[in-house]
Amino acid sequence: MGQAVCLPVSILSKKLKEEMTVGKQIPAIEIDSLSKVYSDRNEEVVAIKEVNLSIPEGKFVSVVGPSGCGKSTFLHIVGGFIPKTKGTVRIRGKEVDKPGPDRGMMFQESALFPWKTVSENVAWGLEIQGVPKQERQGIVENYLKLVHLWEFRNHLPSQLSGGMKQRISLARVLAFNPDVLLMDEPFGALDAQTRENMQVELQRIWKESQKSVLFVTHDIDEAVFLSDIVVVFTGRPAVIKEIIEIDFPRPRNLDIHKTKEFTDYRNYIWDLLHQEHAKPHLKVSEVVNG
Amino acid sequence: MDKRFRKIAIIELIVIIIVWQGLAYAQLIPSYLANPAIIGSQLWGLLVTGDLFMNAGVSLYRSLIGFFIVAITGVAFGIVAGYYRKIGAFFEPLITIVNPVPKIALLPILMVWFGISDVTRILIIFLTAFFPCFIATRDGVHGVNHVFIWAGENMGASRFQILRKVVFPAALPKIFDGLRVSLGLTFIMMFSSEMIGSSNGLGLGFLILSADVAGRTDLMFASIIVIALLGFVFDRILLAVRGRLLWWAER
Repeated sequence: MGQAVCLPVSILSKKLKEEMTVGKQIPAIEIDSLSKVYSDRNEEVVAIKEVNLSIPEGKFVSVVGPSGCGKSTFLHIVGGFIPKTKGTVRIRGKEVDKPGPDRGMMFQESALFPWKTVSENVAWGLEIQGVPKQERQGIVENYLKLVHLWEFRNHLPSQLSGGMKQRISLARVLAFNPDVLLMDEPFGALDAQTRENMQVELQRIWKESQKSVLFVTHDIDEAVFLSDIVVVFTGRPAVIKEIIEIDFPRPRNLDIHKTKEFTDYRNYIWDLLHQEHAKPHLKVSEVVNG
Repeated sequence: MDKRFRKIAIIELIVIIIVWQGLAYAQLIPSYLANPAIIGSQLWGLLVTGDLFMNAGVSLYRSLIGFFIVAITGVAFGIVAGYYRKIGAFFEPLITIVNPVPKIALLPILMVWFGISDVTRILIIFLTAFFPCFIATRDGVHGVNHVFIWAGENMGASRFQILRKVVFPAALPKIFDGLRVSLGLTFIMMFSSEMIGSSNGLGLGFLILSADVAGRTDLMFASIIVIALLGFVFDRILLAVRGRLLWWAER
């Protein structure tokens, strides 16, 4: 294992530390000693252990971790899709424990309804929430134009490529105007080229929408490129190992991949993740005893 | 069927008819196997006397009522049992016990209870065709990709809205698979139940029975061809309805 790279900037700037301190201002997402334990007959497996995280309004935060470490589970709990064992999740100060339109969720696979056209998909959430038809059409047009897919409004999802589907998914989520965006490896199924283009697109759309984002990925480059803050999870049980501020000016273009700073960030996070690899899976008894 | 192979199917059928006719003409097959010409003339006879429409009409009336009841109850119960897992678990033992029973074995019991009547026939159709429809629907609901449900919940849909606007359309392809099996079984049970007898002396199954008594294999073949045609036509109608509703799933 190589020596950890020294970062050119402090890991968390003073300003950000202040922003992330509970009580200063209401954070977009606030996670307080969140734990998840899976019970399987007579043994219990701790998936997530005592995670505390506070995400300031308007920030782009990525969670990276070794595969199977529970980072997706973590996001699904924040989304309210699976129950937590302990702890609280607050969105703009309001405690949540089931899914709701205050959190817009994007999944790795396309969750677009295959029996609805592109524009019907984007309008779906608005229709459920009782937005009048006239208004709906305006919002759908607005967001489909934002993701540059307005011409495809009458297509079916099955007629679109993977990257286009995810852009429509993003438009659908933005259309019902959630407080925060939750993204579970949304570009994980795309090829490398499309994936980089999607990252640039996402950065642009995020800037325009000014939403706070919690983004889960196993791709370190993707996390560094997109984020203001990268949260590194250890594997099994997932606990926060380190929180790193990424200090690049925006808008960023793909060329920053070539800079030394970028490489330093990446290597630093890579080392953090690879210290984790040899570790065996922890059972609850081991956690309690030591 | 693939359009490119339609020609092969037509040629194949023509060759079979010609060979059959040829063998019969050369007296190489026994007369009880009839031959296409005689069967054709019997069919024509059934057609011009109107017997065809009378018998087929009665048979269709019985089987379509049966299928209609099966489609409504099978899909409704299947959706409820699939979506509300507790209700599904409650009915599971009953389904598991009754499903493997060959329903035709119940025919004598039903005949004791209801006589040789349309009630008996529709009941035996229902008992046979219900299960494939119910099970396909229930499993179709179970098999709905959970990200669709999560996406619906995420956009604020209620449990019932998810059922109506996400689970039902997502399960519809599987539901149609079940309906198709049930439709086939409906026709099979229709003719089986007619062959035990008919109080009004009508029905294609009964026609076979009476032709058998009279030793008329040509008439039996003619009835079988009508039955086969009806099965084919209604399967096509179901596929057309499916294509209409599931236009998004085509190809």
